[in-house]
Amino acid sequence: MRYRLLAGLAAVALITGAGGAFAASPPNALVIGTNLGAIPALDPAAINARTVSEVVSNLYDNLVMVNPDDLTTIRPMLAEKWTISDDKRTITMTLRKDATFASGNPVTAEDAAWTIQRVIKMGAVGSTDIALWGFTKDNVDSLVTATDPQTLVIKLPEPVSTDLVLYSLAGASLGIIDKKTALANEKNGDLAQNWLKSNSAGSGPFKLTQWRPNDILLTDARADYWGGAPAMKRVVMRHVPESGNMRLQLDAGDIDVGQYMASGDIEALEAKGATIDPGPGLGFYYIAMNTQDPDLAKPKVREAFQHILDWKPLAATTMKYNGFPWQSIIPKGMAGAPTTEPTGHEYDPEKAKKLLAEAGYPNGLKKTLYPSSDALLKMAVALQDSARKAGVEFEIVPGEHTPDFRARKFQVLVGNSGTRLPDPFGTLVQYAYNPDNRDEAKLGGYYLWRTALEAPELLKLVDESKAETDPEKRKAIFQQVDKGYQALPPSLIITLQRTDPYVIKKGVTGYVGHPTWSTRWFDVKKN
Amino acid sequence: MTTYEAFNRPQRFLRLRQFSGKAVSILVTLVGLLLLTFTMGRLLPADPVLAVTGSEVDKATYERVYNELGLGEPIWRQFASYIGRMLTGDMGQSLTTGRPVAQDLLTVFPATIELALVAMLCGTLIGVPLGIVAAVNRGKLIDHIARIVGLAGHSIPIFWLGLMALFVFYAKLRWVGASGRIDILNEGLVPPITGLMLLDTALQGEWDVFRDALSHIILPGAILGYYSVAYISRMTRSFMLEQLGQEYIISARAKGVSRRQMIWSHAFKNIRVQLLTVIALTFGGLLDGAVLIETVFGWPGLGQYLTRGLKMNDMNVVMGAVLLIGIVFLTINIISDKLYRILDPRTR
Repeated sequence: MRYRLLAGLAAVALITGAGGAFAASPPNALVIGTNLGAIPALDPAAINARTVSEVVSNLYDNLVMVNPDDLTTIRPMLAEKWTISDDKRTITMTLRKDATFASGNPVTAEDAAWTIQRVIKMGAVGSTDIALWGFTKDNVDSLVTATDPQTLVIKLPEPVSTDLVLYSLAGASLGIIDKKTALANEKNGDLAQNWLKSNSAGSGPFKLTQWRPNDILLTDARADYWGGAPAMKRVVMRHVPESGNMRLQLDAGDIDVGQYMASGDIEALEAKGATIDPGPGLGFYYIAMNTQDPDLAKPKVREAFQHILDWKPLAATTMKYNGFPWQSIIPKGMAGAPTTEPTGHEYDPEKAKKLLAEAGYPNGLKKTLYPSSDALLKMAVALQDSARKAGVEFEIVPGEHTPDFRARKFQVLVGNSGTRLPDPFGTLVQYAYNPDNRDEAKLGGYYLWRTALEAPELLKLVDESKAETDPEKRKAIFQQVDKGYQALPPSLIITLQRTDPYVIKKGVTGYVGHPTWSTRWFDVKKN
Repeated sequence: MTTYEAFNRPQRFLRLRQFSGKAVSILVTLVGLLLLTFTMGRLLPADPVLAVTGSEVDKATYERVYNELGLGEPIWRQFASYIGRMLTGDMGQSLTTGRPVAQDLLTVFPATIELALVAMLCGTLIGVPLGIVAAVNRGKLIDHIARIVGLAGHSIPIFWLGLMALFVFYAKLRWVGASGRIDILNEGLVPPITGLMLLDTALQGEWDVFRDALSHIILPGAILGYYSVAYISRMTRSFMLEQLGQEYIISARAKGVSRRQMIWSHAFKNIRVQLLTVIALTFGGLLDGAVLIETVFGWPGLGQYLTRGLKMNDMNVVMGAVLLIGIVFLTINIISDKLYRILDPRTR
C-alpha cells in the first residue's frame, strides 16, 4: 500500500518534471503582467481607469491621437485631416477611406458620429472629458453629424478651445465603434452596452480573442489593419497581483512588460538590465485638508502643513518609481508649467512649529489621517513620522477612504490624482475649480470642492482658459492660476508628480507608457 | 400486511419529519447567513458606486449609478428584493467584473475546488503518516521532528513560502509554471467540461496540456496542503495515542500481533471516523482560506474574487460567494455524517 503510494508520487514528479521545458514568451507575442482586477467593462464609453484604457486603445482607433513623447501635437488617425471654421465653433473632419473594422465593415463618419453620440447619451464615466464642452443628450444628435461617409462635422455648443475638444477625442473612451456590429447586438435599446462589456467592435490593430476577469486577456493582431500588420501577432495580459512573482517571471523571460510593481522589485530588475519606463502621469500626490475643520480653515495652519512632510527621502526610496518632486498644479513640461523645479514645500519642522504657534497652536495639533487607499499607506506613515517633529500628531486610519474624501468626511488625507486630458486644463479643473461650495452641491469630481475651499478668482480664470484659443494667452492664464493657487494657501499640498512605472524586458522595444494611459502596442518589437 | 403497515407508517412519518426538519434548518442557516452578510456590507464605509464609476466621477453620473444600484431604498427593502431575485435564480451582477455573479462563480469555483482537492490530498498524504509515526515514536527524536515539520508549515507565512518555492522550483529549476492555471500557449486549447483543468484535459486525452496544468497546480496545492499538515498530523497523533493506550491494543500485542498489524489494522481503523471529520473541516477551510496563495500564484479562484468583492463593497459578489461557501460547508457536514454511518457501525 505504502509502496504503491510512493510509486504514484514518483510518477507525478516524473510527469511534472518532463513538462519542465517552459518556453519563454514567444518572439512574436507580447506578454504583459498586470492587475486585471476591477475591470467591469471593455466598452470605451464605460471606462476611465489606466489598465483598461490601454486595452481599449489597441482594440479601437480614435479619430485623432497624441504621441506619448509629444503631448502637444494632435496627429491624424482615423481622421486624415480636419479644418476649423473661422468662428472656431465647427470642426470638419475627413476620414480615411482604407480603414476597416475587425468585422470587415468600412469605418465611416456615421460610425464616428454614432460613437460620440453614444458616449454622451450613456453618460457613463467615459463621458467625463467630452461632456465638459457642453454636449448633452438633447443637443448631441444635432451637433455631431455625418454629412457623407467620409465627412464628420462637430459643432461646439459653447466657445471652447478646439484643441481641448480634439484632445478629448484622442482619449480611450472615444475609440470609434462599429455601429452596425454593435446595433446587431443591441438589447432593449441599451446601445449594445451589455454586449460591448466583454466583446470588441473596433478598427484597431488588435482584436479581442479571450477575456476572463481577474485572469487573462488575449488579443490577436489584425493582418489587414490599415496601418499595416503589427509585429506582435498576439498580445496577452496576465493577472499577476503579486509583485515578487512578477519579478521572477520578468527575470525568467516569461513576461515582457510588468506593471504595478513594488519599488524594490523594479530596482532589482533595473540592475539586471531591464528598461524602466518611468511612465509620467498627469496627476499628483497630495496632502488634502478639509477646511470645514475649524483648525484647518486657518490659512496659517495650512501654510504650516506645507513643511511637515519629509518627502525627499520618500521620493528617493519607497516612492522612487511612483513620482518625482513637483509642487505646481500644472504637470511638468506643459504650457504654463514652471521651467525649473518649483520650491516652497520643503520639510522644516521648526518653521511649521512657528507658524502653528502664530495660528494659536503653540502646543501643536492632533488630527486623523486617512490614506485614500492601501497604496497610499506608506506615504501616510511617512507623514505621521515626520509631522511629529513639527508638533502635529496624526492618527492613521487605514482603508479605502476615497468615498469619505468625496463626501467631505475627513480631516487630513493623502492621495493621488490622474487625468486623461493632456492639457493643463485637465488638472486645473480638478485642483482650482469649485463652482458651488455648498454641501448639497455634491461636486465630488472637483478636489477643491472636496476640501471645501472657495476660490472665485481661480474659478473665473479656469473658465476663461477653456474658451481661450490663443496659446500665449492660455499659457499666461495657467501661470496666473498656478500663482493664485499657491497664494491661497491651498488645501491640497502637492509634493510629487505621479509616475506609473513600466518594467520592460531586455530586447523589447517600442513599448512606451502613455501619460494619458492610451499605451499602444503597434510599434512593439522583440529581438 | 397490517402489522407491517402499522409498523412502517410512523417510521416513514418520522423520516419525513426528520428530513423536513433538516431542510428547514438548512434554509434558516442560509437565510441567516445572507442577512448577516448583507447588513454588515451595508454598514461598511466602502462606496459601491465608486467601484462602478472610478473616483474621478462627476455628480450626474454618480447619482445615476447610485439610483441604478437601488442604494436609495431602505436596507430591509434592498434585502427583500435581493432574496426575491435570488429565488428566481438571479444572483445579480458583479460591479467589478460586469458579469452575472452566477457566471463568475462558475469560473472561479472550479479553480478553487481543484486547488483545495490537490491541497487536501497533499495535506492528508503527508499529515496522516506523519501523525502516526509521531504517535508510535512518542517522545523520541522522530516525534519532535514531526512536530517541527508540521508546525513550520503552519507558522511560516504562506506568501513567503510561496515566493521561495517559486524562486526554487520555477525560477531556478524551471519545473513548474509561475502563475495562473495554465500556460498562455495552451490557453483555450481544451474546451471546459467540468471546469477542473486536470480532469478536463485527462478526459479529452490532452496529456501535454494536462502536464502543463499539473505543473501549475502542484506548487500552490502542495504549499496549501503543507499549511494544513500541522492540524492533520497533530490530530492524527493524539487520536492514535488515545487508541494505543487502550487495553485491546495491549492484549493484541500480548497475543503476538505484529507491530505493523497493530498500528494499521487495529488502531488506525478505529481513528478513521474522527480523522474524516478533521479532513472534511480542513477542506472547507481551504476553500475560502486560500486568498494569500491565490494572490501569490495569480490563481483565479474564489478567495481572490470574494476578497476583491469585499474591498469594493461589491455586495452581489460577497453574498453569492458567502452563500456558495455556506452551501459547501453544509454539504460537507452532511456527507461526513453519512460517511460516519458507513464507517462506524455503532452510529447506524
